[in-house]
Amino acid sequence: MAEDQTISDTTGVTLASAGLADAVSAGASALEEEVVGWFDELQAKLMRYLLTAGLSVPDAEEIVQETFLALFKHLTRGKPRHNIPAWIFRVAHNLALRRRSLVQRDRQNLLESPSYEFVAGGDPNPEDQLALKQRLARLAGVWQALPEQARLCLALRAEGLTYREIAQVLGMSLGAVSISLARSLARFACAQER
Amino acid sequence: MLPDESHISDEELLLAADDVLSRDRSAAVAKHVSLCGTCRTRKQKLEEALAEFVDFHRRAADPGVRLAGEQRAVLKTQIAALTSLRESWWAVWTSTFSFRGIAAAFAFAFVLVAGYRTWPAILASRPAIRPVPVFFPEPGLTPGAVATADRTAVCGSSQPKTRNVPVSLQRRVFEEYGIPGASPKAYEVDYLITPALGGADDIRNLWPQSYSSAVWNARVKDALEDRLHDLVCDGSVDLVAAQRDIASDWIAAYKKYFHTDSPLETTP
Repeated sequence: MAEDQTISDTTGVTLASAGLADAVSAGASALEEEVVGWFDELQAKLMRYLLTAGLSVPDAEEIVQETFLALFKHLTRGKPRHNIPAWIFRVAHNLALRRRSLVQRDRQNLLESPSYEFVAGGDPNPEDQLALKQRLARLAGVWQALPEQARLCLALRAEGLTYREIAQVLGMSLGAVSISLARSLARFACAQER
Repeated sequence: MLPDESHISDEELLLAADDVLSRDRSAAVAKHVSLCGTCRTRKQKLEEALAEFVDFHRRAADPGVRLAGEQRAVLKTQIAALTSLRESWWAVWTSTFSFRGIAAAFAFAFVLVAGYRTWPAILASRPAIRPVPVFFPEPGLTPGAVATADRTAVCGSSQPKTRNVPVSLQRRVFEEYGIPGASPKAYEVDYLITPALGGADDIRNLWPQSYSSAVWNARVKDALEDRLHDLVCDGSVDLVAAQRDIASDWIAAYKKYFHTDSPLETTP
């Protein structure tokens, strides 16, 4: 697929490319500003998503760096600018999968990972804090029972991606995304009622 | 009341909320929901569940999101390094195709020398994984280390000119420089202060020198080491001064002791 090809191209450090002349031009600094602008907008969202995907904090930070460097190369080569946030998530997702298989962490349960754990603090009232802890424990139970694809769908939705964008990032059909999210949210809704 | 089979599915309620359905279907769903208390309640519960999950997700993942400013600085450094490298390649390409040989070498040397002045500072906040090859030692990682500052020991011994660095130590050097997966064929792990000048077998005295460095390469540095050894042993140069010069900026030391701005022809 053309888009997949774009992703793999942009994750390599191939310097002798057709866009080399453009990179030397004065536009490079404007592109840098643009990339840093996207970084400011999406860094926290991307980090949260990568932590959800089971990466450690250092690994997630590296993937974020690689992703935005890939974006710089992508823009330098004059490649399509359509829906850059979805492109960024897609590249990060692919890099994360590669990294995860490299370090063989995909067997780990996400909630056992120190990079994705709950912080129940912040409520001064002990009763409220207890209620919050119980609520989070309930939600954690639902979360742990979800298949990984469902978790990633949910995490992307929580970061504001549309259904179409989620489908693009994860390589699923729109229908599969809606089914997955509907099932997951129904489980969370049941947990709320308990 | 609407019969059960006519209710809108959860999937369709979600898709409608995301404005994905066709205009006609979207209007039909909206009309149904406005009339059906059951679907309205389900829609509300799904929305509340999503809000609940978003809160849960933030609480779980936010502690890992940190140092955005530092991360931004690292990104800018990496982009600058990438741009600089692209420019140097571009200079070589254009020169090679227009003037051939000499002009290309001159342009590339200029870019590398300019880069040598600025890269140590740029790379102070070194990324964990380096996106570009290593061409120069980083003072923070390779300040240089000496085993002896005794001229008699350096000049009197018959030390081998080169000494192999153990593979495990080479790997540590690669990791320190953010190139853990680097091929030993792409880099020579080199002593900053050669053992022939009293340099120590210490990771602080080792750095990965890229074989792709076209001008200021390992052969040029070897020539400098031989020259300094001769100068130290015939008493022209103080050993400590030689060690300091080669450790602080070996290219500047080459220019100083060879009285030239570019590497002289050396025999392979």
